[in-house]
Amino acid sequence: MSALEMLKDKIREALPSLEFVIGWEQGFDALHATPFFMRTAEDVEKLVFGPLCVHNLSTYLPSFRGRKVGIVLKGCDSRGAIELMQEKLVERENVVIFGLPCSGVADLAKLGRFAGDLDRVLAVTWDDETFVLTTPAGEVRVPREAALADKCLTCQFPNALEADHFAGEPLPPATGPDMGSDRGGEELAALEAMAPADLMAYWAEAMERCIRCYACRNACPMCVCRDHCIAHRRDLQWLGQDDTPREKLMFQLIHTLHLAGRCTECGECQRACPVGIPILALRRKMNRVIRELFDYQAGLDLQAVPPLFTFQVEEANIEERKW
Amino acid sequence: MTEINPYLPEPATILETIQETPTIKTFRVRLDDPAKMRSFSFQPGQVGQLSVFGAGEATFVINSSPTRLDHLQFSVMRAGEVTSRLHGLAAGDKVGVRAPLGNHFPYEAMKGRDIVFIGGGIGMAPLRTLLLFMLDNRADYGKISLLYGARSPVDMAFKADLPDWTARSDMTTVLTIDREAEGWEHTVGLIPNVLLEMAPSPDNAVAVTCGPPIMIKFTLQALKRLGFGDEQIYTTLEKRMKCGVGLCGRCNIGAKYVCVDGPVFSYAQLRELPNEL
Amino acid sequence: MSAAAYLPAPRLGEWLKELSGRYLVLAPQARGDTVVFAPFTGDAEPVLDRDAAMPPKQAVFPATEELLRYRRVKDPEDPGKVDVEVSASLRAVETVVFGAKPCGARGFLAYDRVFRSPAISDPYYAARRAKTLFITMACAAPGNSCFCHWVGSGPSDSSGSDILLTPVADGFVVQAVNERGEELMNSPLLEPAGTREAKAREIQDAAAKALPAAPDISRAKDSLMAVFEDLAFWEEVSAKCISCGACTYLCPTCYCFDIGDEDKGMSGRRLRTWDNCMSFRFTLEASGHNPRPTKAHRLRNRVGHKFSYYPALHGGAVACCGCGRCVRLCPVSVDIREIVLAAIARAARVREESAHD
Repeated sequence: MSALEMLKDKIREALPSLEFVIGWEQGFDALHATPFFMRTAEDVEKLVFGPLCVHNLSTYLPSFRGRKVGIVLKGCDSRGAIELMQEKLVERENVVIFGLPCSGVADLAKLGRFAGDLDRVLAVTWDDETFVLTTPAGEVRVPREAALADKCLTCQFPNALEADHFAGEPLPPATGPDMGSDRGGEELAALEAMAPADLMAYWAEAMERCIRCYACRNACPMCVCRDHCIAHRRDLQWLGQDDTPREKLMFQLIHTLHLAGRCTECGECQRACPVGIPILALRRKMNRVIRELFDYQAGLDLQAVPPLFTFQVEEANIEERKW
Repeated sequence: MTEINPYLPEPATILETIQETPTIKTFRVRLDDPAKMRSFSFQPGQVGQLSVFGAGEATFVINSSPTRLDHLQFSVMRAGEVTSRLHGLAAGDKVGVRAPLGNHFPYEAMKGRDIVFIGGGIGMAPLRTLLLFMLDNRADYGKISLLYGARSPVDMAFKADLPDWTARSDMTTVLTIDREAEGWEHTVGLIPNVLLEMAPSPDNAVAVTCGPPIMIKFTLQALKRLGFGDEQIYTTLEKRMKCGVGLCGRCNIGAKYVCVDGPVFSYAQLRELPNEL
Repeated sequence: MSAAAYLPAPRLGEWLKELSGRYLVLAPQARGDTVVFAPFTGDAEPVLDRDAAMPPKQAVFPATEELLRYRRVKDPEDPGKVDVEVSASLRAVETVVFGAKPCGARGFLAYDRVFRSPAISDPYYAARRAKTLFITMACAAPGNSCFCHWVGSGPSDSSGSDILLTPVADGFVVQAVNERGEELMNSPLLEPAGTREAKAREIQDAAAKALPAAPDISRAKDSLMAVFEDLAFWEEVSAKCISCGACTYLCPTCYCFDIGDEDKGMSGRRLRTWDNCMSFRFTLEASGHNPRPTKAHRLRNRVGHKFSYYPALHGGAVACCGCGRCVRLCPVSVDIREIVLAAIARAARVREESAHD
């Protein structure tokens, strides 16, 4: 029996005692899966799982506090759920987690670099080495390495870290020379090497096209202020209304700082951006700093206290006495 | 360009403020341009946007009467950013006015009929304009009665008007508060209950009511019990508004825009709208 | 109407440069992995092989625009006395939007009924609209999220445009839609289309035929009202929505806006900014009451506005141009087509059930 069929069985079994189980179904075209709230056994038939199941479903959990729900989680997504539980924003006992081993999800932006117009892709298949996109102009073959999201290439947690039911065989973490740290790879290194003025120019150009839709915020599982976000609090005027890179970058910096020690680097902020702004780099940078200061990664341990939720009189890596 | 700019407020000066209750403050303003003030006209029930430059705009009913046009009066309950800033203003301070906006009470159709005003709290403001208008055109209307209620004596607004309204022989006025209070010489009881006791006749009558949603709900039930039909009951709606001219898209209830199709609606009209108040 | 012309592909950049002398030319350009409309500078060719993420709506309806400025002036005799001077800001430049798809240009027809109606004319919108011309690119093949033909349009719909370009081998057939378009075509770079005009028509016909049959959505207006109070329906169809504003900001017909002041010292500006009906704060009242407290209420308003309330006010025209951006670029693929069809089906079922009772 395939992992997906095992998963369906487990969900069908658990469904009577749950309001719904959140998973994925096929979306509007071949390239898109879409989050799916399963309420009946017939719904479960439509469940899909594969590299197009890109969404981190733990984003939905805080809105269902106090309700009995189920959720399908990949390894990286489970970190979001765990971090929310660490922060007492989601009750562990109310959530039935269906864990999965995940061998990586596609980055549609990367596929677009090969196929051009993704809205005219007719079909997509994949195997261990290649994604094959059928387009009106013919087949486009994309090497798996070039198609997967960055986070998957160095994934240390391919299996849900917390699960009531686990379907399939656990997968080993990725291996390679650059594994096991919150590095953003070459992109982050390149940004860090820039002179401040160049870096500012880089962000100014990138933020120019931001439309302030806040999809980055709403797709983020850790953005729990939701309706009370500082971006909309006119009376405080943290952000101006001017449509300038300066104001828009300011929001990204607020977002990033609010995620310090909380971000699980699922990449939903960047994936959700309808105009493809590379904002994950900011979170990666923050995560690297958190790792250096506190030796901490968010969402790995239900019992751990996030570093900025507490303090020690003498923080090991903050040498404030030597200033 | 000679086109009208609907967003441009007229500079105006606050002539006088009246602290009506701990949370309600009344502003009497006059447009700075004397010609514009002279030619200004509106209909009872219409609203205006008051600007506090730097804070923004908010919508209030013009609660003075078009028959008394030496100033425009707005009564403002402190609730949000703009209203808090307004409460900080005093006589001589500058505001902006965009008015008149919206529809008005069908005072022509009400001619010859008995009028029952039922106001709760700040909901008295839109009633005041129509009441003053009718008192100034007294012969056009039948019996006029007013039931005005507030939580406690201190929450009663328009105290300057009350002696006149209670003393007049050409109208009946009942003032009520929710619970007994020292020194209160008028009625005690919730508005819907007092209304049932007053028992105004629905024959050839119109009820005009405004107040907090819970009061409206029970007042409507009371009016029904008294025999008032939906088309005999009028109220004014409030919504968050920005442009005030039917464009910005937030005050709609289905295809109706409260800023241009309202704020005045009969209950017969409201029943036709989708339930999204 | 003048005869069609032909623009060889290699001359496109030159033509745009020529137009740039007289107009601000906005053209689709690559930014990272995405395509947006940006001023054409001649440094890069416009991107025409995929759809722009953003429609050209900023050309006429900017994300932020200044409505007015105010200045506080202290009375030198009495510093406690402060006067306020208010002045309208109205800036509009002659603009050409090049390379939008018919749906993107057509979006402004939905705006026109609201912002230039007999009842009211928005001077800011009207001024920009009057000064903006559209050189539109017909679609050769439909995309997966396209549904312009559901809403009475098509891949070579020229309504809302001044010039329609049709891509043919090695170039474009250029057709003026109106007199303003004809004026734009007054360039030595264009040559007579000759037989290519017929070829362009073939391409246009083929594109129209390539669209799958459109369902009948004429009942959407009444159906959406019929299911208005069925909150369970709206909760179901909005379950996966994450309540961001991407759909509204990407939409060529979404026009809701906010107005707010930006104060600085003794002066300030009153700005109009795009607003988003999917936001909790859109209808939040100062009292704390919110008529649309959940995303189910808000999505109901968004779909209802486009396919029911707007048509009720504007002779049946829907406030949707079928460009599919809200489907294609939604982070969770909420599909407005599905919701409209589900509402029609739900209303039909309720009707049948009540007929049987």
